[in-house]
Amino acid sequence: MRLLPSRRSDLIGFGVLIVVLAVFPLLAPPSWVNVGVYALIYAIAAIGLTLLMGLAGQVSLGQASFFAIGAYTQAILVTRYDWSGITAAVVAVVLASLAAFVLGLALLRLRGHYLALGTLGLGIIITVLATESEFTGGTSGIFGIPKPEFNNRTYNSPSEYFWLLVPVVVIGLLVARNIVSSRIGRALGAVNDSEVAAETLGVDTFRLRLQVFTLSAAYAGVAGVFFAHWLAVVNPNAANFPLSVKFLLISVLGGLGTVWGAVIGAFLVEFLDESMSTFIPQVIPGATGEVELLGFGVVLVLLVILLPGGLHQAWQLAVGRIVGRGGGADEAAAAPTARPDPDDSPLFARAGRSEPGSTLLEVRGLTKHFGGVVAVDDIDLEVRTGQILALIGPNGAGKTTCFNMVSGVLTPTSGTVRLAGKRIDGRKPHTFARARATRTFQNLQVFGSMTVLGNVMVGRFLRSRAAMLRGALYFPARAEEAQIARSAYDVVEMVGLGAEARRQATDLPFGRQRLMEVARALATEPDLLLLDEPMAGLSRTERRELALLLRRLRAGGMAIVLVEHDVEAVLALADQVAVLDDGRLIALGTPDEIRNDPAVVAAYLGVDEDDSEAAEAVREMTGGSGGQS
Amino acid sequence: MTDFLQLAFAGLSVGAVYALIGIGFVAIFTVSEVINLAQGEFAALSGLIAISAVASGLPLPVAVLVAVASVAVVALLMERLTIAPVKRMTTLTSIILTLGVSTALKAVMLIVWGPNSQGLEAFPGENVTVLGVSIRSQELWILGITAVVAVAVIWFYEQTGWGKALKACAEQPTAARLVGISLARASMLSFLIAGVTGAIAGVAASPVYFTSWDSGLAIGLKGFVAATLGGLVSVRGAVLGGLALGVLESLVAGYVDTGLRDAVAFVVLVVVLVVRPSGVFTRQAVARV
Amino acid sequence: MRRIITFRLAALVAATALTLTACAESESGGESGGDDSGPIKIGAVLDITGAGASLGVPERQTLEMLAQQVNDDGGIGGRELELIIEDNQSTEDGAAKAATKLINEDQVDILLGASRSGPSFAMRPIAEDAEIPMISLAANVQIVDGSEWVFKTAQNDSVVLENIIDLAVEEGWQTLSLIRDSSGYGEGVQEALAELGEPEGIEVVTTEKFAPDASDFTAQMVNVREAGADANIIWGIPPAAALAQQAYRQLNIDAPVIQSHGIGNQVFLDTAGQSADGLLAPLGRLLVADQLPDDDPQKPVIEEFMADFEEEYGEQPSTFAGHAWDGFTIAVQALEEAGTDPQELRDYIENLEGFVGISGVFNFSAEDHSGLDKTALAIVTVENGEWKLVDDNRD
Repeated sequence: MRLLPSRRSDLIGFGVLIVVLAVFPLLAPPSWVNVGVYALIYAIAAIGLTLLMGLAGQVSLGQASFFAIGAYTQAILVTRYDWSGITAAVVAVVLASLAAFVLGLALLRLRGHYLALGTLGLGIIITVLATESEFTGGTSGIFGIPKPEFNNRTYNSPSEYFWLLVPVVVIGLLVARNIVSSRIGRALGAVNDSEVAAETLGVDTFRLRLQVFTLSAAYAGVAGVFFAHWLAVVNPNAANFPLSVKFLLISVLGGLGTVWGAVIGAFLVEFLDESMSTFIPQVIPGATGEVELLGFGVVLVLLVILLPGGLHQAWQLAVGRIVGRGGGADEAAAAPTARPDPDDSPLFARAGRSEPGSTLLEVRGLTKHFGGVVAVDDIDLEVRTGQILALIGPNGAGKTTCFNMVSGVLTPTSGTVRLAGKRIDGRKPHTFARARATRTFQNLQVFGSMTVLGNVMVGRFLRSRAAMLRGALYFPARAEEAQIARSAYDVVEMVGLGAEARRQATDLPFGRQRLMEVARALATEPDLLLLDEPMAGLSRTERRELALLLRRLRAGGMAIVLVEHDVEAVLALADQVAVLDDGRLIALGTPDEIRNDPAVVAAYLGVDEDDSEAAEAVREMTGGSGGQS
Repeated sequence: MTDFLQLAFAGLSVGAVYALIGIGFVAIFTVSEVINLAQGEFAALSGLIAISAVASGLPLPVAVLVAVASVAVVALLMERLTIAPVKRMTTLTSIILTLGVSTALKAVMLIVWGPNSQGLEAFPGENVTVLGVSIRSQELWILGITAVVAVAVIWFYEQTGWGKALKACAEQPTAARLVGISLARASMLSFLIAGVTGAIAGVAASPVYFTSWDSGLAIGLKGFVAATLGGLVSVRGAVLGGLALGVLESLVAGYVDTGLRDAVAFVVLVVVLVVRPSGVFTRQAVARV
Repeated sequence: MRRIITFRLAALVAATALTLTACAESESGGESGGDDSGPIKIGAVLDITGAGASLGVPERQTLEMLAQQVNDDGGIGGRELELIIEDNQSTEDGAAKAATKLINEDQVDILLGASRSGPSFAMRPIAEDAEIPMISLAANVQIVDGSEWVFKTAQNDSVVLENIIDLAVEEGWQTLSLIRDSSGYGEGVQEALAELGEPEGIEVVTTEKFAPDASDFTAQMVNVREAGADANIIWGIPPAAALAQQAYRQLNIDAPVIQSHGIGNQVFLDTAGQSADGLLAPLGRLLVADQLPDDDPQKPVIEEFMADFEEEYGEQPSTFAGHAWDGFTIAVQALEEAGTDPQELRDYIENLEGFVGISGVFNFSAEDHSGLDKTALAIVTVENGEWKLVDDNRD
């Protein structure tokens, strides 16, 4: 069965693109071709920006900075040092990427607005540096950059330069597409949907974003090289804010949902620019100069309010009306929900695990203060291989906070967490994941932009290796991609979601989304699994099936910590039970011990009010305030 | 020493303008988490309107009032037409929206007022020399106005019912709504404050620093840096931040290299955001849980 | 999946359709100049918006007025004159784009522009590559240095600087400070000044820079005041030059202040206001036309231009308008005398002597594509907000 999307549509699209671009200079009037050259140059930079904003979710208002670095480097090396165009180009792109890498180390720690304005500031700093430095030619910049020459043919007419750019744009687009549908692309998509969930599946968000930031700058650098040769002059305006705004407009107009948007957006924006420069002065006499800004501004505002997904969204809406919402829903309704395997053989056994019964997770003195509130107070816990520990207690007792601290989502105020002997408290969640531990979430952290299968495939992130380069080239990573899809599907079937594998994750009822989260967590092949209320929203049958699954996992040697409110289910399933109340551990023992522990009863389980003796005991213990249930 | 004082004073004057712009950023951000990239344009627009008003015969005080009122209306319109309709406001959305408005406003100013820089008639007063430092009367006006506006805004937020309601919206939007505070009204009010403070900055600064269709960008971004020094949530922080930034710029321009002036603001921005994102002039580093 | 194919397909089909309809339009338009019929085309790239607007706008006005006059008088050799003006938005890449368009698409016979030095630098290689004569309206001598195809009508900085040094020698100033525009307009000025001053024993003790759009000059002026030179030179164009002038006066710097020829328009006087009084500047005679002696060769030409401009636009022209007048009139004269062949046009201009223009009397040669010496400027001061001739400088 075919699990991965077909590449055929992509190939057709690229074929048509090449034909159209090749034919364009032959048919279009010269002024259009001139505009087209700029469109292609800017498109290259915009592809990088779309990758950064759409895929990695980072807003950059400074794409022109790296564009300028590429352009200046090329200009200086070619005019001042007489380097050949190609060698200089390689250095220019490397330099732009390097600059992004170094700056990204600092800037990418910023979030949202701060990153956007930090990149804006970067653009201004580069402009100032270029203006002030003799080396870069000051305000006048570098001029006299020759047109490229290959095989005794100088590419100096708009048509020739256009053709020169076409393969660059096509390859750039191809590489970007490959990355988007690769393992790295999937991981980044997951980060966009839920950064915390992606991290707990082992995705090192910072590192990936830095990679995309660097790559995006490389694209800008390439565009800058071609810009330098075409314009023959490079000056500090190449890094200026209006240019970064133009790149932003191109990406947003085309639609951040697809890298094709960059190419289409570029043509649109450049033609819009040209036509507005001629149109507005006719409507408003005497208006000259950057009047096209009026159009840009209005377009941006309207886009965001009416069509935030850009042209891509417009297209999807239009097609959606015609084609109808096909696929997933009908499939799922037609096929009966497959029930998981009813046998109880061990699952996910792994040779590398320590002996059953040995301590895997050790928590000592775990404490968390939020300002003046003590959410978790001095908790000691141990989880053993091949064991299920249940964590129960009233709402607000601190269970999820514990999970958050153990999995690295929160830093403990004090206390230690040791996994397989190594301290992991205060480390980021992907460290937790790399130590073969993972978790699910009480507030669902589903990757809404993906299918069920897609979600679980993200779970395979740590069990696969293809880095960005292999993903970019597509073929070296193809076999692994197929493998990832297959193993993910196996896990999906195992939990009983096989029929819904290709549905959008958010289309599932909440309970089954929770199940999907479990599948996703299992896909990482963990030794330790933290489950935060996995049974909420499941039917009785589904709960029994999940319980069976957990037993099989335990039999295979996994250590499981389970937070649940279904006390009966939990007491039947667990080997050890820990009870939290008000941040403190009030009881720890076997299910039987816990069931009868008066403190637990008073705090959580509650007691039959007709049993006067017990009620009296409870009243004494709690100072008359009565128990909660 | 005279040189140092002269530079420092010049820095305080321009820093006061940054402070006023910064207050506008804080006003909007605290209510709706939107960073208004058109803040600088409010200042530029008000300067140009005042100049036209004076040119058409209105006395200066009236012209100033007309300018401030007009920009306040523009700010309200911006809120109603562009911010309010957006259901899900993400970072990218708010940046692009406000950027779009900023761009459109710039183009309108270019079309209506042309490309040249113009200066508003100076407010009445004489230049003075104190301790060898030559001070223009307009600079004294700028400092005075900034002080008054800053005090007024702080009083508003801390002493009046509506001001406290705005702060509540910033801290707990859902709770605020539950107790009956209209988020729509709060948003409009925040834009009103931003429009008025930005407009005042524009008319006060125009006689000395000149206004043109694109003078909003630089001043807006530096105002943003000022606001960031206050963590984007503190009016006091923004004012102190603006003044500090102005002085720092002036000293760097004077003692190091005049060309580096514009870079100062952004180096400061990046350093602050990386080292202490909660702001330099705020009481404690607040962790956003 | 299907949606994705169809999205791209449709977009590309749309692009193709657009292209095909465009080619239907493309059949018209784009007649080549340079042949013997049809209009003669002059292309102009001007700084109409942006930092150079105060130069570009009067230049445009002048060109439009003059082109109208030429056509009213029957055109050039019976052929209509078509003037195509492009705005470079005061940027170098804007100028490069505009020049490329004028040469490749409009196929102009001769190119004028840009208003300022920076954009002119960007245009030069394009004109030279295409071997089309270009007349720049900007000041920096490097625009024409070593060029075969590029000429200019604004006085070279060196001419201005020579006048300043002469002034310094006359007044006995030994030390000078320079506060200059950091863009192309101010580049090379310090070096040239130092070079000219050396044989006279005059030294440039400090140099400060300002951006063309700067509004605060405290830092620069404080340093200049510190340096305490005998005289200080501000080298920029309005509004910056005017704001600098204000700052200079505000900081009570006693030493005499000299401005460059970049301030030759009313915008400067309006912006600088009272602070302009007492400055000295080598400026074009246009500004003091009524104060010129009657036997001054430029006086009749200047007065006619001023009258025409005033009648057409209701205001006085600036020296920059004058540069445009010179460039245009030289171009038209060349086109009339030498036809539209680029090489002949070029040769004609290069050999032109004794051309009485607004900016001075031009004498071009193979070594000198600027054509003006220091007598092209008069020494002018400002008194009560008006230009006042100090020295007619013909000797």
